[in-house]
Amino acid sequence: MNRFKRNFTGIGLVKLLVYAFFLLFLIIPLVSVFLVSFTNEPINVFGSFISWEQMQITIDQFKNATLDNFKSIFAYGSYFEGLLNSLKLSFIVSLWVLVICIPIAYGIARTKMPFKRTISALCTIPLVIPTFISAYAFIIMFGRAGWVTYIYEKLGGEGMLLDPYSMTGIAIVQIFFFFPYALWPMVAAFKISDVSLEEASRNMGSKGWLTFITVTFPLAIPGMLSTALVIFAVSFSDFGTPIILAPSDLNLIVVDAYREIAGFFNWGGAAILTVIMIAVAGVIYWLQNYLLKGKNYDTLSGKPKKIKLSENKALTIPISIFSGFVVLIPILAMATVFLQSIATTWGKDPLPSGYTLEHYRTIFTSSLGNIQNSLILAAGALILSVIIATFVSYFVVRQRSTTLDFMTTVPLIVPGIAFGIALIQTFNTAPLQLTGTAFILIIAYSIRRLPYMVRSTVGTMKAIKQDIEEAAVNLGASTLTAAITVIGPLMLPGIAAGSILVFVTVIKETSISILMAPAEWAPMSLAIFQNVMRAEYYSAAAMSVILVVMVLVLQALANKLSGGNKS
Amino acid sequence: MGSVVVEQLRKEFSGVTVLQNIDLDIKEGEFFALLGPSGCGKTTTMRCIAGFESPTSGTIKIGNKDVAKLAPNERNCGMVFQSYALFPHMNVFDNVAYSLNIKELRKANLFKKIGVYTRMLNSKLVKYPKEVEKKVMDILEYVELTDHAKKLTSELSGGQQQRVALARALVMEPEVLLMDEPLSNLDLKLRHTMRNTIRRIQQDMKITTIFVTHDQEEAMSMADRIAVMKDGEILQIGTPTDLYSNPKSSFIADFVGTSNILPGKVVASENGLTTVQIGNQKIQSVTKTDKKDIQVIIRPENINVLSEGSDDNGNAFEGVIQFATYLGSTVRYDVKVGEHQLVVDTTYESGDSIKKNGSTIRLGVSPERVLII
Repeated sequence: MNRFKRNFTGIGLVKLLVYAFFLLFLIIPLVSVFLVSFTNEPINVFGSFISWEQMQITIDQFKNATLDNFKSIFAYGSYFEGLLNSLKLSFIVSLWVLVICIPIAYGIARTKMPFKRTISALCTIPLVIPTFISAYAFIIMFGRAGWVTYIYEKLGGEGMLLDPYSMTGIAIVQIFFFFPYALWPMVAAFKISDVSLEEASRNMGSKGWLTFITVTFPLAIPGMLSTALVIFAVSFSDFGTPIILAPSDLNLIVVDAYREIAGFFNWGGAAILTVIMIAVAGVIYWLQNYLLKGKNYDTLSGKPKKIKLSENKALTIPISIFSGFVVLIPILAMATVFLQSIATTWGKDPLPSGYTLEHYRTIFTSSLGNIQNSLILAAGALILSVIIATFVSYFVVRQRSTTLDFMTTVPLIVPGIAFGIALIQTFNTAPLQLTGTAFILIIAYSIRRLPYMVRSTVGTMKAIKQDIEEAAVNLGASTLTAAITVIGPLMLPGIAAGSILVFVTVIKETSISILMAPAEWAPMSLAIFQNVMRAEYYSAAAMSVILVVMVLVLQALANKLSGGNKS
Repeated sequence: MGSVVVEQLRKEFSGVTVLQNIDLDIKEGEFFALLGPSGCGKTTTMRCIAGFESPTSGTIKIGNKDVAKLAPNERNCGMVFQSYALFPHMNVFDNVAYSLNIKELRKANLFKKIGVYTRMLNSKLVKYPKEVEKKVMDILEYVELTDHAKKLTSELSGGQQQRVALARALVMEPEVLLMDEPLSNLDLKLRHTMRNTIRRIQQDMKITTIFVTHDQEEAMSMADRIAVMKDGEILQIGTPTDLYSNPKSSFIADFVGTSNILPGKVVASENGLTTVQIGNQKIQSVTKTDKKDIQVIIRPENINVLSEGSDDNGNAFEGVIQFATYLGSTVRYDVKVGEHQLVVDTTYESGDSIKKNGSTIRLGVSPERVLII
C-alpha cells in the first residue's frame, strides 16, 4: 500500500507518463503496422478499446487476415525486386565507402600527410547536408544540362558522364555523402591497432607495405566490418537520395513504400514493406552489436599510446591527393547549388549567364512560411525531446530502467519512412485522428531524434554523483523537487548540446517531413523537395543554401557548447 | 533534538544479509560513533536511519516516532556526506538555504511556489525573506564562513567545504545529525581541527549526532559512546574508556588501540588470581574466567621495563629487543619474549637513553592490567 502510494506521487506519475508516451506513439504503431500487414486494411486500435462495435469490426478484420502479403514478397514481384535492389544498393555503397575510407583513415590516423587538418575538417561537411539536397545537386551537375556534362562533351564524350537518375547515380551520391560516418570509426580503429606489433614486424625485416597488409590491416578488420554495417543501415534507410533520383522503373523498398501509401493508399502493401524494412534494419543492428561484443574500443583508446606517424612522402602525397579528390566532390556539389541559387539562368554552360539575389528575395517574401514552419516544428520537437530525454535518462541511470533504455534504441533501428507509415496508419481515424496535424509531426520528429538526445543526457546524468541528489532529498526535497532544482540545472550543458543536435536534425529530416507534413505546416525540406519535383531549381537552390547555412551555424554552436564543457 | 532507537534491524541486498541484530539506543544530545572496518555495515545502518535504504525488518524510531513510513525527505535528519555533496551550481549561501527554501515551498500557494522555485534555480531573481537571510548568515557566522557566502563551493578549501556541509545540515534544525566519514577527505592537521570544531558545535547545540568512521582515534576522541561493528553486526557498545579497558573480544582489543594478544591456557585459579600458561611462561591476572583456552590481552603502555633488582609483582619475563621506534614522547620497543612478539611503550623524557636492538630487558606487568577474554 505504502509502495503503491509512493509510486503515484510526483516522480512516479512522471514515469507512468513517459511509459504511456512510448506505448502510444512507438510500440502501438509498430505493432499495429505488423497487424495491418496481415489484415490488409487499417485497424482502429484505439477505437476498439472504446467502442464494442469497433471491436467487432476489428475482430472481423482479423478473421479475414491472410498471409497474402507475405507470399507476395517472396513471389518474384515488384516488392521482392524492391527489396533486392535496396539490399544491392546498400551492399555496393558500404563496400565502396570502405574502399574509399581505408586510405583516408590511414592517412589521418598514421601519417603526417600534407593538409591533414584541412582534409579532416572538410570530411565533416557531407554530414550536415541533407541527402535530398546532395541528390538534387548531382542532378544539376551531372544532368543533361549540368556543367559536368558540358565539360565531358567538350572533351569528346557522348551523352552524360553518368546518369544521376539511376542506381549508379544514387550509389555515388550515397558514397560521397555517407563516407564520413565510416571515416571516424575507422580512424579510431587504425589508431588502436597495436603499433608495437607493427614494429615487431618491421624489426623482422618486413617492408612498410608488407607490414600494412599483414599486420595493420587485419588488426583493423573487426572495426571495419562494423563500420560497413553502419553504412549499410544508413544507406538502406536513406529516403532523400532515392526519392529524388530513382527512375520509375527502378524499384527500391523505401520509394515503393512511400508510393504505396502516398500514391495508392494501399495500406496492406505499405505495411508489409514497413515490416520488411524494420526486419532488415533490426538484423543489421543485431549483427553490428554481435560483432562489437567483447571489443570495447573505448577502454582501449583510453590508454594513450605513442604512435609514430609516417612521413614517407611517396606514401603521404598520393593519400593526400586522393583524400582531397574525395572531399572535393561534396564541396563542388554544394558550390553548384550555391551558384544556382544566385544565377539568373544557368543552361548547359560551365557558369551561369548572370547573377542575382532575386531567388532569395522570392524566398523571403513568398516562402518565409516554410522557414517559420521548420523553426516552429523543430522547436516543438526540441522541447518535447528535452523533457522526455531528461526524465528517461534519470530513470535509466538512477533507477536502472532497462525497458526505457531499450525503448530509446528502437527509433535508432526503425527507418524513418517505416516509422512514418506506422504512425499514419495508427492515427488515421477517430478517436485519435492525428494524421495530418502538426502535433503528430512533432511527435514523430521527437521520437526519431530521441536516441541522440538521450545519449547526451545520459552521459551528463552519469557524471552527477548520486549523493548530490540524496543530499537534496535529505534536506527535505521530494524527488521531483530535487530533479528540478539540482539535477536539472546540473544537466543543462548536456541538454543544451543535445537539443541543438535535435533541432538541426529535425530541420534536415526528409522522410518524415515528406511523408507526414500537411500543406499548411510544410517545412523547408518539404518545400525544397516539391520545388525539385516541379523542376523549380532556382528557388530550391536558394532554400537549400539557407537550410545548410542554418545547420552549419547551429552545428558549430553545438560543438562549441559541448567542447567548452569538456575543458 | 531527539533520541534514536533501533531495534533488531536487519538488511538484505538481493538475498545477502549485510546487517543483522542491530540494536541501538542513542540518547538525546548524545554523540554516538559507529566504528568499524570498511564493509562492516556502518554506513548502511546510517542510511537506514536516513531513509535511503529500507530495512528488511526491524524498527527505527527517531524522537520516539517510528519512521518506517516516512520518506527520506520527511525524516528531518541532517546528513553530512563523505563527499560533502554540495550543490556545485549554487553558492555557499544558496547551498545552506536549500532546506529553508524547501520548507517555504511546502507552505506556499502555487504563485509563491513558482517564486521559490525560481529562487532555487537563480537566487538573483527572487529575494530571500528576511528571516531566512538572518538564519543562514547566523549559521555561517557560527562556522566562520561569513566572508565566503557568495562564493561558489568549488572556490573553497576542503575544510571550508566541510563546514558548508555542516552548516547546510544544521540550519534545518534536524532531530538528529548524521555524519558519514566526514573527515576522511581532509589532511591530518585539518582533521584534528575539524574534530574539535564538530565536537564544539555538537555540544553547543546539544544535537544528537551519529558519526560513522573507520578511524578508531577519531571515534575515541569525539564520541560519548561508540558501537564497534564487524560483518554486519555490533560487537560492543560502550564509552571510549570502557572499550579500551574492557574489550569484549580480541578484535575490539586490536581495533581500538594497540594490543598484545597472546593465546594461553588457564592452569590455576586461587586468591582471586588466575594463572595462565603462555608457552613456557606463566602470567597472572585478576580477571576471572571459566574457560580453559583463553586469550590474554595486555596494552603496550601497561608493560613496564624493570630496572635490575626491582620488585616484579610476580609477572616478570625477559626478552630481547628486536626493534626500537622513537615516537617523541614515547619509545616503542618490539620485544621477543619466548616465541611471542610483544609491543612495549615506555614514556620518554629528554636525556633518557634508548635501548639498543639486541639487548636483553626485563619486563613486568601488574595482574590488574592483564585482561583475559
